[in-house]
Amino acid sequence: MSMQTPKQLGGISFGLMDPETYRDMSATKVITADTYDDDGYPIDMGLMDPRLGVIDPGLECRTCGSHSGSCNGHFGHIELAAPVIHVGFTKLIRRLLRSTCRECGRLALEEHEREEFSDRYERARELGDDQTDVLKAAVRQARKASTCPFCGEPQADIKHEKPTTYYEVQDVLSGEYSERIAEAMQPDPDDEDDTGTTPSELADETGIALDRINDIMAGEFRPRDEDRRAIERALDVDLTEEDMNKLMPSDVRDWFEDIPDGDLEVLGIDAENSRPEWMILTVLPVPPVTTRPSITLDNGQRSEDDLTHKLVDIIRINQRFMENREAGAPQLIIEDLWELLQYHVTTFIDNEISGTPPARHRSGRPLKTLSQRLKGKEGRFRGSLSGKRVNFSARTVISPDPTLSLNEVGVPDRVATEMTQTLNVTERNVEEARQYVHNGPEAHPGANYVRRPDGRRLKVTEKNCEELAEKVEEGWEVNRHLIDGDIVIFNRQPSLHRMSIMAHEVVVMPYKTFRLNTTVCPPYNADFDGDEMNMHALQNEEARAEARVLMRVQEQILSPRFGENIIGAIQDHISGTYLLTHTNPEFTETQALDLLRATRVDELPEPDGIDDDGTEYWTGRSLFSELLPDDLELEFTSSTGDDVVIENGQLVEGTIDEDAVGAFGGDVVDTITKVYSETRARVFINEVAALAMRAIMHFGFSIGIDDESIPPEAEEQVDEAIDNAYDHIEELIETYEAGELESLPGRTVDETLEMKIMQTLGKARDSAGEIADQHFGDDNPAVVMARSGARGSMLNLTQMAGCVGQQAVRGERINRGYEDRTLSHYQPNDLSAEAHGFVENSYRAGLTPREFFFHAMGGREGLVDTAVRTSKSGYLQRRLINALSELEAQYDGSVRDTSGTVVQFEFGEDGTSPIKVSSSEDNDIEVDRIADRVLTAEFEDDAEKEEFLGRKQRPTNISEHAGPGLNKAQGLGVDSDD
Amino acid sequence: MVNVTDHELVPDHELLDDPEAVEEVLAEYNVSKTDLPRIKRTDPALPDEAEPGDVVKIVRESRTTDQAIVYRLVIS
Ligand SMILES: [Mg+2]
Ligand SMILES: [Zn+2]
Ligand SMILES: [Zn+2]
Repeated sequence: MSMQTPKQLGGISFGLMDPETYRDMSATKVITADTYDDDGYPIDMGLMDPRLGVIDPGLECRTCGSHSGSCNGHFGHIELAAPVIHVGFTKLIRRLLRSTCRECGRLALEEHEREEFSDRYERARELGDDQTDVLKAAVRQARKASTCPFCGEPQADIKHEKPTTYYEVQDVLSGEYSERIAEAMQPDPDDEDDTGTTPSELADETGIALDRINDIMAGEFRPRDEDRRAIERALDVDLTEEDMNKLMPSDVRDWFEDIPDGDLEVLGIDAENSRPEWMILTVLPVPPVTTRPSITLDNGQRSEDDLTHKLVDIIRINQRFMENREAGAPQLIIEDLWELLQYHVTTFIDNEISGTPPARHRSGRPLKTLSQRLKGKEGRFRGSLSGKRVNFSARTVISPDPTLSLNEVGVPDRVATEMTQTLNVTERNVEEARQYVHNGPEAHPGANYVRRPDGRRLKVTEKNCEELAEKVEEGWEVNRHLIDGDIVIFNRQPSLHRMSIMAHEVVVMPYKTFRLNTTVCPPYNADFDGDEMNMHALQNEEARAEARVLMRVQEQILSPRFGENIIGAIQDHISGTYLLTHTNPEFTETQALDLLRATRVDELPEPDGIDDDGTEYWTGRSLFSELLPDDLELEFTSSTGDDVVIENGQLVEGTIDEDAVGAFGGDVVDTITKVYSETRARVFINEVAALAMRAIMHFGFSIGIDDESIPPEAEEQVDEAIDNAYDHIEELIETYEAGELESLPGRTVDETLEMKIMQTLGKARDSAGEIADQHFGDDNPAVVMARSGARGSMLNLTQMAGCVGQQAVRGERINRGYEDRTLSHYQPNDLSAEAHGFVENSYRAGLTPREFFFHAMGGREGLVDTAVRTSKSGYLQRRLINALSELEAQYDGSVRDTSGTVVQFEFGEDGTSPIKVSSSEDNDIEVDRIADRVLTAEFEDDAEKEEFLGRKQRPTNISEHAGPGLNKAQGLGVDSDD
Repeated sequence: MVNVTDHELVPDHELLDDPEAVEEVLAEYNVSKTDLPRIKRTDPALPDEAEPGDVVKIVRESRTTDQAIVYRLVIS
């Protein structure tokens, strides 16, 4: 079974199914609505007939002879007592009824029109346009014909009453025709010249005999169609009324049988595979039992699937229909039963049709029928085919571990012992394989299953592991536990970009969480407030190789979103490097070695100097320089504001902060990745993080409420600034109330006042911030974090120490609440700052109750906005992904869809990948820098030149766990390297 | 009336009236005419004489490359 030849699908053809085919493929006709008899055996020709497949273990399928599990089931069929409409095709049925002749079935189009629509089909097919548009146009055209161009039969309009009823609307002679004629013959009372029409005049005008006219006027003779039209013309009256003639499904079927194949072709219907009369069901296929298995409840009662319930209804009504018809029941009863049968078949197919009450379970729950199984997020397509639950995956909470490399992930041992990798036993690893099996399923690097060459799978248990280990030979497969260095895929939802799924190397650890290096938080957008992530163990060599080469974290350092690094130092790392380099502090040998102890550096450089006591010292900048490549040259401005100069791999001056080593485009990380290699960048980022953690722990870094307090005189200054603003606003309001405020161009006076007040208050807060700022030292932790870009901004500091400022809802001062005022504490129409949500206190000083209330209003808006934005952008994302998912960059550089249509002639117009191009705001492409480098290379030796021509292979480091002494299984209790 | 083709943001739309030139383009990308991106006959950027079935060459100025060349099939 495992050796089946792979086959290739040539294509899939969709069409309608011939009722004969239903019968041919049917395993049995189903005639009984019952399922099981009293002994629990399926009833013959019932809905659980054993010929439809088996679900109970032990029973044998009566069609194919196999047992449950290996039999996929077989279709049966129900012969419907009367044809019914298939709800899935009501639109097409309506279109065909409207466009074909009720008498001869021909499509009501002239020869030249047929040709035109045939051509349009051809073109739509060629261009890949929607062919139903042509169908719609053809139907619209054919519907215009009042008589059939082939047999001359007048055509009635078709009315479609949803979901499945069709009427022919015909104009027939009204019952009150004589009254209407008499009325029209009366003289018009408003017109003196009008003397009315006498019967003889009417007879002359219409050419109908006078006594016939008299009969008609007496209501004793119903005029035929020609006579009726003549009278209507003569008297200018309408003698007709609409008559609705219901088309029974059998009528529709007869009608469609007359439509010739050639006419269907004009409508784009392939008659060979889809005759339109097949849209009217005469036979109903019964899905195999395997698609609608019954479940046995705890109390031994059987509970049937929704589809089975629905089929029971259909068979019952079908039988009643037949009995009534045979007994010669009145037409009315037959029609009622026919409609009931239609309802059940309709809801069997789709139970969510508007206008039709859904069929319900006894409990009142609507039944889940065919359509409902397929549709929607949990349906077969989106829920089971596009996305499904998989084996070899794990999910748990994440937590940080700064000792891991950014390429690694800490995997809890209980996950590692559950998830396996297949080890093919060869002569070279047979000992290793035996060791895994020997360790059993519970000890860590053990094995859970083995597979013998004959294909049998054996579970490794604590009991049999030792015995089994001896049997393991070449050719066996061992499903061993995950060990350090295995490659796995790691993912955090919502997977919004490529870097949401990356490959990591396993490090097996105790406890229950996945551990990550904090530098990979930005690409996943992860934090540790309870976030969970998923891990997938890869199951074949190809997948593992692709993951290593393409998906490993270090290969994702550069983001295609903005072409710079997305992985780098964050938060504490940045505070750390700032403290280390900003004031360039000095360290003793011990301190310096301690700072560098988590890096590769094990020898200090020449000391930077000797202090007064005669001890050597090293500066922070030269310690940082130890992490840089020896020949790095770089100059840029840091986010702190000073110029950073790196010469020959030495940080000469400047502060290392967010703009140097941060995620989201830190210049040093970015340059190392692009100029050196991903591996060098990975080493650098790991070491920067490690050094920064040591540095921040060396200095100590904490923040408390006192760090935001300012001296009393500063507070007075802040109060004064705010009071000045209040005075200014009062003036503004006075001018406004005096009607003297001049409006700004394009604004009303009211808007102008609002704007000016907002401006004034904004300025007041800013000056409060400046005043507060002046009183903070450079070593204030909040200032350090804001300047270095680690976390927070000067605005946050202003709000904590100076003044929180104006609260806004929808970009305006707070204007809602009561009539003409925001709270009942204020006078109506009070325009003051206080009454409209200005918070003059700082967070540290504390807010008044009213300020707090306004603050909550502004805060609420922010929360609502985020919630709305995420749901909207999620849907947008889904649509965008679906629209773009099959576009592919071809080897010739063009971007095409699956049908070969060109979307872009050159990928992104320029054929370049954003991560392979270096660019900045001043220079679109940093041509200068590239040219510089090329030139220097020109003057150096050939080897370097080759590198710039791209011929030198960068060394690829495929794993951090390769090398001697790192094999966990063999390492178990075995001797060490030396 | 404003002629949009004179606007600086509307790139040059040049009609490929030589069938050989069209063939060359199709051969270069190994596509048939119907695989090209499309443009409506009624598009104001098109030259007046463009007919459905024609191929136009659009030369855009590009921020990253000097010029980006795109071909489109005129449809009705
Ligand atoms: Mg979180
Ligand atoms: Zn079977
Ligand atoms: Zn006809």
